[in-house]
Amino acid sequence: MPTTSELAKAAGQALEFLKAQPEIQEAEVFAAANGSLLTRINYTSHIPCNGVEEPKSTESYGIGIQAVFATPEGRKIGFGSEPSDLTLEGARRALDKARQGAVHDPEFHSLPRPTGEPRTLGDYHDPKLLRVPDEALVEAGWKVVSGTLRTFVASSRLAELAGSEAAVKTLGLILGGDVTILQERVAVVSTHMPTVQTDESTLVMSFLTAMVESEDAKGSGWSTGTRLDHFTDEAGVDAAVNAIRAIGGQRVRSGDYTVIFGRQPVADLLNNLVLPACTASSFYTSSTPFLGKLGRPVASPMFSIYDHGAMPGLMGSKGITCEGLPTGRTDLIKNGRLVGCLSNWYETQRLLRDRKLTEKLGVDADAARGALAPRNGFRFGAGGGRQFDCQPGVSASNVVVEGAESVSLDELIGRVRNGLYVGRIWYTYPINGLRAGDFTCTVVADSFIIRDGRLAEPIKANTIRINDSVTRVLTHIVGITKDVKGTLVWAADEVVYAPEIAVTGVHVDEIAGFMEDLT
Amino acid sequence: MAKKITVDQVDRIKEMVHDLATTYARSLAHLQYADVRIEVTEGKAAAAENGASKFSGEDYGFGFGIRVLAGERTLAPGYFGRSLGAADLEQLEKILKEGLHSAYRRAMANGEWKATAREKFGSLGDSLTDTRLQLIHVRQEVVPAEYEIDPRTMDLGKMVRYTTDVSRQVAGVHGQLKYNFISTMTQLARELFASSEGALIDQAFALTQGMCYVVAESGGTSQELYDVLGHQRGWEVLERGVDEPLVHFPPFVQFSLNLTNEAVELAGAPALPSSDREVVVVTDPHYNTLVSHEIIGHPVELDRVLKMETAYAGRSWLLRSLDKHQVGKQVASPLVTAYSDPSLPGYGHYTYDHEGTPAKRVVHIERGIFRGFMNSRQTAAIFGGDPNGHWKATDASLVPLIRMSTTVFDKGDRAPEDIIGEVDHGYYLVGHRIPSIAESRENFRISARKVYEIEHGRLGRLYRDGGIMADTKDYLMKVDAVGTDFRIYPIPNCGKGQPMQTKKLGNGGPTMRSRARLTGPVVGAMD
Repeated sequence: MPTTSELAKAAGQALEFLKAQPEIQEAEVFAAANGSLLTRINYTSHIPCNGVEEPKSTESYGIGIQAVFATPEGRKIGFGSEPSDLTLEGARRALDKARQGAVHDPEFHSLPRPTGEPRTLGDYHDPKLLRVPDEALVEAGWKVVSGTLRTFVASSRLAELAGSEAAVKTLGLILGGDVTILQERVAVVSTHMPTVQTDESTLVMSFLTAMVESEDAKGSGWSTGTRLDHFTDEAGVDAAVNAIRAIGGQRVRSGDYTVIFGRQPVADLLNNLVLPACTASSFYTSSTPFLGKLGRPVASPMFSIYDHGAMPGLMGSKGITCEGLPTGRTDLIKNGRLVGCLSNWYETQRLLRDRKLTEKLGVDADAARGALAPRNGFRFGAGGGRQFDCQPGVSASNVVVEGAESVSLDELIGRVRNGLYVGRIWYTYPINGLRAGDFTCTVVADSFIIRDGRLAEPIKANTIRINDSVTRVLTHIVGITKDVKGTLVWAADEVVYAPEIAVTGVHVDEIAGFMEDLT
Repeated sequence: MAKKITVDQVDRIKEMVHDLATTYARSLAHLQYADVRIEVTEGKAAAAENGASKFSGEDYGFGFGIRVLAGERTLAPGYFGRSLGAADLEQLEKILKEGLHSAYRRAMANGEWKATAREKFGSLGDSLTDTRLQLIHVRQEVVPAEYEIDPRTMDLGKMVRYTTDVSRQVAGVHGQLKYNFISTMTQLARELFASSEGALIDQAFALTQGMCYVVAESGGTSQELYDVLGHQRGWEVLERGVDEPLVHFPPFVQFSLNLTNEAVELAGAPALPSSDREVVVVTDPHYNTLVSHEIIGHPVELDRVLKMETAYAGRSWLLRSLDKHQVGKQVASPLVTAYSDPSLPGYGHYTYDHEGTPAKRVVHIERGIFRGFMNSRQTAAIFGGDPNGHWKATDASLVPLIRMSTTVFDKGDRAPEDIIGEVDHGYYLVGHRIPSIAESRENFRISARKVYEIEHGRLGRLYRDGGIMADTKDYLMKVDAVGTDFRIYPIPNCGKGQPMQTKKLGNGGPTMRSRARLTGPVVGAMD
């Protein structure tokens, strides 16, 4: 894989080449090298298995060019890329593709220009994570498997349930999930920002699910970090502990409950509903439930969220966007009011010039400008990484949730007194489209009944479905905990630093009664 | 200067890859099995928004993936994948050998750790066993693609003009249409598979797709709808539509205009009220396409069934353990038969899967009785039975998973109009929209594009934002009519795996009737 300096050299040479082309008015070069190393875990005590099922990796590198051409038919913009070639020949091929595919886009204004904001984050990755040998990849997977198995073996509760230590395997113990290491190197340069900028980022993360399947007991564990030295078996141990804790789950009757959403559900609701509703493109397409509400209340006054791609030590931090602009803090909802959008250069430019801007955002261009800072133009794809072969989209980075008058979890449970603690939800979708705000999901793990101000029995996995609306949930928040933890959602680009949030009147339907009688 | 990458490149590297997977791989001391997958794609795409062109491009894809089973004390798997470019052609053999060695090192290390864990964790180590693959007939075959208009010959400029024109026509339908996005693509892919067992399979696939996304608004109510028209054929399917016995589409422009008119009509319709109790529901073939996908196809994927997707795609209610499962038991009404068949036309068609297994029909439910699962060689070795060819990846550099081919409800013997005509009071769901399924697929909620009230056997009022919710087994057991109007539709975006693989496949079925609860919007949520 090429080094960052090789990417920088290639990007600089390519821009010089592009500047020499007479028909090119503006150009941007993005060179990247990405590695994704992943061990997928599959342990089952009652079914033959591999423990570490897939120690694997994918890698790619190349160069992407976005160019604006002066043509007899007018100004056209095109994008092309070439994999595995950082030479001028590679740049020439990418340019040929950009030229061939160039179109006249009436909403294109310009390629990104400096915003005046300074870059604040640099040299923050772990060099060890850029050089992980095959054996170390496998070891990382077995580290978390061993953590889980050790916890299961040491559990007197499991031995008691099974009748003997030797019979514990008959309980149907499961561990699934992965350890993933992401390696990203990028270089970007353009006619408007002619000094090559580079960035390197690394991330190691694990997300695991453990089960005592005979008891329908499921628990989750996860860990994130930017340093290989800091990676432990924590996620494996947590998953096993939480699965054992979930033994003895009870069914819950249909009705409206005060629910404390745990960190994973908060991250899931944000990933699938709130963040898509806060992107500039969803305002442009009139598909957000917050249409026309910039500056207006959309949530409880105690609820605030912001995206911050430049905060040192957070998992999703990056020095620059894939457009060469500095990352930074973008407030999205502040004290319940919608105050900002996730955006990239293109979306900001076209939305500010949209003649229906006031209808879509609720304010005019002068008022909207500050809310549309292009700090989130990333080229995520292919399961992680900043990819050379696609144009910038809009993605969150680190999303931080904050609550006014936040309290400890014990205090929040005490305040709720009677309700449900929901620790993990599943398949959360805007069932009638994003704009309608209706969503549904099922409760799959890490959940408890709250009775008399304490956590009581676990809720049996897969026995309730939540049917509600995100606009209603946001406005019925009654409490938020103090502590946040970096939380991942399957296939999501961002890391959510989530607290636990209490919401009144959440509608729950009891489901899958037939499973009790299944033989 | 590097050579241009075309699908014809496969002809030039075939022997080298075969030799690498056989003679060279077998020379590694503790290697039990290896396979190499290489894919070359030539594709073109265009996109337009609100009548204006937004993007077009022509490019190639080139990548490989390697699997090795090896080990000294226990056999274990190791994988390696990479994307490639034209500059890699000169040293392709060297790159593939490095990938093979990397996969081998991972398998060896994995086998060693597995053996150690087996010794260390007492009875919990018993299930950590050698990785085995069920035997298959090892084949060498070339399978050509089917198309009239070769995707490689399509003029990109023509695609841009066509796509922009469709978007322009859609934009002109009605003032209530707020937004449209139209995209088209056509591509030819060639996949080469070689294994240490001697397999050498060269399959080609054409694929052409048009996608339409629209947002309509009326009085503060909006409707976002999207749908795709697609087939494993050339550009002709967009210009002329498809008129085959099982796959039928109008030309893409008409397809898009129909969807747009639907969105405008729905934006002005009332919301469907939810029901507290079950009602009679009749579902059309497009809606049942998603039902068959979610509650038949996914829960019969044997990797999920064997708990391998517990952390991601979920498990299956059809199997608790190897000796406690639903095979041979009644799980549906005797009127319900369902199967997966890679020989059916459409997105789910192929001859061999990505481990060289000849693909064949597998019956999941036969007249209400559960019969079996889609599998891979590894999962078949664990559960038993012959491999049926459903191990597929979306890209050669990614590890395959068990995926649907074309999973469908079989047709019945009732006229669709009679199925509706017999209903005194009920609801008719037309077109699928968005699903949410429980973890083991034991419960589902799926929204429909349109819901009509049925009164005295006739379609009445139209509702928006409606759907149904039911427990899977209860819903299947209550099916009391199955139509003759069997149809197959494309599913363009089925997500599974880590990293996520978004796959194109086929689903379908006829009109069916059952009972379920109606689900509408949350009342008062927007206030």
